[in-house]
Amino acid sequence: MRTGIPFALLAALPLLLAAAPAPAPSAAPAAASKQGPALTPAKAADVKKAITAPGAKAVLVNIWASWCGPCRDEFPDVLKIRRDLGSQGVRVILVSADFDDAGARADAVKFLSDMGVDFPSFIKVGKDEEFIDGLAKEWTGTLPATLVYDGQGTLRDLREGKQSYETFRGMVEKVLKDGSARPAS
Amino acid sequence: MKQSLALVSLAVLVAAFAVAPLFAQDAPKPLAIGGAIPMADQKMKNVDGKEIAVADVKGAKGTLVVFTCNACPYARAWEDRIVALGNEYKSKGIGVIAVNANDPEKVAEDGYDQMKTRAQDKHFGFPYVVDATSGLAKAYGASRTPEAFLFDAQGKLVYHGTIDDNAQDPEKVSSRYLSDALAAVSSGKDVPVKETKAMGCGIKFRA
Repeated sequence: MRTGIPFALLAALPLLLAAAPAPAPSAAPAAASKQGPALTPAKAADVKKAITAPGAKAVLVNIWASWCGPCRDEFPDVLKIRRDLGSQGVRVILVSADFDDAGARADAVKFLSDMGVDFPSFIKVGKDEEFIDGLAKEWTGTLPATLVYDGQGTLRDLREGKQSYETFRGMVEKVLKDGSARPAS
Repeated sequence: MKQSLALVSLAVLVAAFAVAPLFAQDAPKPLAIGGAIPMADQKMKNVDGKEIAVADVKGAKGTLVVFTCNACPYARAWEDRIVALGNEYKSKGIGVIAVNANDPEKVAEDGYDQMKTRAQDKHFGFPYVVDATSGLAKAYGASRTPEAFLFDAQGKLVYHGTIDDNAQDPEKVSSRYLSDALAAVSSGKDVPVKETKAMGCGIKFRA
């Protein structure tokens, strides 16, 4: 019997497409609707899949929450990295750590809309510790957190707390310059 | 054989280099399990106006230091549980102190007056002090709120981490890490789970 494409993969497809570097403005027409940008519930494994999806040379994962001042402060710079370096193979993945309930989710979507985000992103679900360690053992769980991976999903840098555009840029440019940390197989 | 050994060694070396996190950031290094109470004599202003140090609250069976604050939604979500545990174990020989290391210049809600109000409203039965330089938090390697450090009767760290595994919904907690650690320490037993993690608000350190 044909099993077909796993549902999770199907569900993640729009996100993977939209998370690809330098998407054309029309690449994800369904991403933003009247309800605001799509926010897909995700565990660490789902985020890792989006990180390692083909096509990126460096992946910046920003974990934020709508109520978190430093997260809100740095958010425009995260988006600017996507605009400025998307064409060079930098994928930006946003993960909201807002609580998993309707009110918090609405706050997250509103913030994303206010920030002009028109592409899908994630909202973390499940146990904190699994999520934290699933993305990076070195991460304490502090918000905001910015994790940079190479295209093969190896963690290359991690910052906790608010960062500047220059710091974000330095983090991803180092990976672009060095390439993958893994030896070619 | 020698050749394959050499190849394996090389592969291990390459792999070690490849996965070594070459992070530019000085990642927070929290106090290690077994470590002694840092800056135990550092006086800090309590919500009752008195200057108090961790050494002053040290319990016969252990000491719980919780970095928390007024503003952080995680700290607020766990607040009633922190207070309940603190009040319960204070009467069971554990010294308890809550420390606010946030800079009120950055978070107005973490000002001293607001701390006084919160401690009163939430019936803190233990000191809630101002870490006026954020120096205590730095000495512990604390990075977020809330973050708990539990020391045994000898003043050695036996538990570091979160309160339990569900900030959002107390009804859905399945692992009560801090409660289990307190129960163990207060009865002189080994703490079952010594280190845990959870999401938290970054401490707004003073410059």
